[in-house]
Amino acid sequence: MRGALSIVKKEVYSYFLSPVAYVVLGVFLFMMGLIFAKFVALYQQYNMAQQFGQAQGITLDKLATYLYQNMAFILCFVTPFLTMRLFSEEKRQNTLELLLTAPLKESEIVLGKFFSAYVLMLVMILVSAVYVFFMVLWGNPELKIIGATYLGLALASACYVSLGALISAMTSSQAIAAIWTFIALLFLWLLQTLGSGISVSWGPIQWGPTLVYISPLGHFNSFTEGLVHIKDVIYFVSFTLFSLFLTHKVVESNRWR
Amino acid sequence: MIEVKDLTKSYGDRLAVDNISFSVKRGEILGFLGQNGAGKSTTMKILTCFMPATSGNASVAGFDVFENPYEVKKRIGYLPENPPIYLDLLVSEYLDFVANLRKIPRGEKKKKISSVLERCQLGDVRNRLIGNLSKGYRQRVGLAQALIHDPEVLILDEPTVGLDPKQVSEARGLIKSLRSERTVIYSTHILSEVAATCDRIIVIDRGKIVAQESITALGATTKTELVVQRSGEEVVSSLRALSGVKNVHYQSNGKERIIVESDPTDDIMAEIAKVVVNKNAGLVRMAPIQLALEDYYLGLISGKRGVSI
Repeated sequence: MRGALSIVKKEVYSYFLSPVAYVVLGVFLFMMGLIFAKFVALYQQYNMAQQFGQAQGITLDKLATYLYQNMAFILCFVTPFLTMRLFSEEKRQNTLELLLTAPLKESEIVLGKFFSAYVLMLVMILVSAVYVFFMVLWGNPELKIIGATYLGLALASACYVSLGALISAMTSSQAIAAIWTFIALLFLWLLQTLGSGISVSWGPIQWGPTLVYISPLGHFNSFTEGLVHIKDVIYFVSFTLFSLFLTHKVVESNRWR
Repeated sequence: MIEVKDLTKSYGDRLAVDNISFSVKRGEILGFLGQNGAGKSTTMKILTCFMPATSGNASVAGFDVFENPYEVKKRIGYLPENPPIYLDLLVSEYLDFVANLRKIPRGEKKKKISSVLERCQLGDVRNRLIGNLSKGYRQRVGLAQALIHDPEVLILDEPTVGLDPKQVSEARGLIKSLRSERTVIYSTHILSEVAATCDRIIVIDRGKIVAQESITALGATTKTELVVQRSGEEVVSSLRALSGVKNVHYQSNGKERIIVESDPTDDIMAEIAKVVVNKNAGLVRMAPIQLALEDYYLGLISGKRGVSI
């Protein structure tokens, strides 16, 4: 595993050598800041309304759900910038030859690459924990729900990053990798809306619910409501493992194609 | 050390390597000679387990490249045609990364890095960004990468491309210094390089091995140019009678020019000189022609042997 670790080390270091990490972190925190400001404004508004006996049942936790669902969506935009270079840059600079002729297993390379982007993703998610701090300071949120939400974010971002890594392994152009990763993530996200409008069935398969199930949105949403269903955990973990498995095959195929 | 048997590689319809077999002994430096696109790089990529062959076998240090790539990769240092360097790292950072990939124990890492920096004369650029280095330095960083783990087998794909003449001779010196402890395969299309460094050459053309010979065997015939003032024909006929002489060409347009192909011994040279002097032919010039390798190579590539000057 030392090979994988040294790849993680080098990649994370490279992120901070180029402007990528700073730009991505900056943009992410800026957008989240906007959403958090909106969230604070809404919270004040409902607090006010509740003093006059209106808007009952809207709690801080409900609003936090809104905050974190937006965050999961913004992570879709951010992921391509972190994953685009993972393999495509190695291919373009012929350095994949270095990795593939070193005494490493392909799985070490894939895991190293995956974790380098994932570590950065987790850093961003952790930075967003300052919002929790403010919530605790000014309100009374249910910390168990927030804990579940962060577990959901960690799992969802793992599946985003694995998909990004897969697409990056298939091209030698960073731009193409970024665009396709973004399209793929957006498409998966929109399957939720798409699927809920379809009532066609083919034999025993209900297309609508199937598409909804494939989308990560619903699975993530149950985390934000404080529900840690084993089926959702399995969804994210298996999605990630399957993408990484395909990435492994694609990297391997560089050798025989 | 390296055994290649009936190796074939095709990219789609195109045969890049066509049924080649050769072997390299421990401590030997093998020159891989051929035009661009002849199949040199492909063969090297197969030996380094970067890509598999379509058919045939190859083994390094007794380990098959298809069945046991891990053991093979451990023993090989490989410099691809384009050095596999990260432009955004410092030279020392890059070598540290490679040392980790090569699983060099932490205790030895520092020592190995500084020794390879010294051997490739990279000491004064160790803290510079690879992206800011010139082509020659980048090539040397690539070479350092291949040497860092003291591999038993070195596979170098055109290691001297992009180096200036001084660096070329330094690189050759470095490769020569590895002789006897390491096995080296070295591809190039520069002939003088092969003559200067290799023990043996393999000439490969359109995916096929067209010749396999040791450098000394290649030097088995030397050519000597003689220019005389008179009685050329007499000289030629008596030269032909000498035992070590293989062939004599004669041209007479104003000057009488004779080219003698003979064994490369000093004795035969003395004999040739003696004949010319005895005939009182008025010797103007007697010079060796050092084109044997080039001649040989061009002859192979163009399909006919023994092209004269």
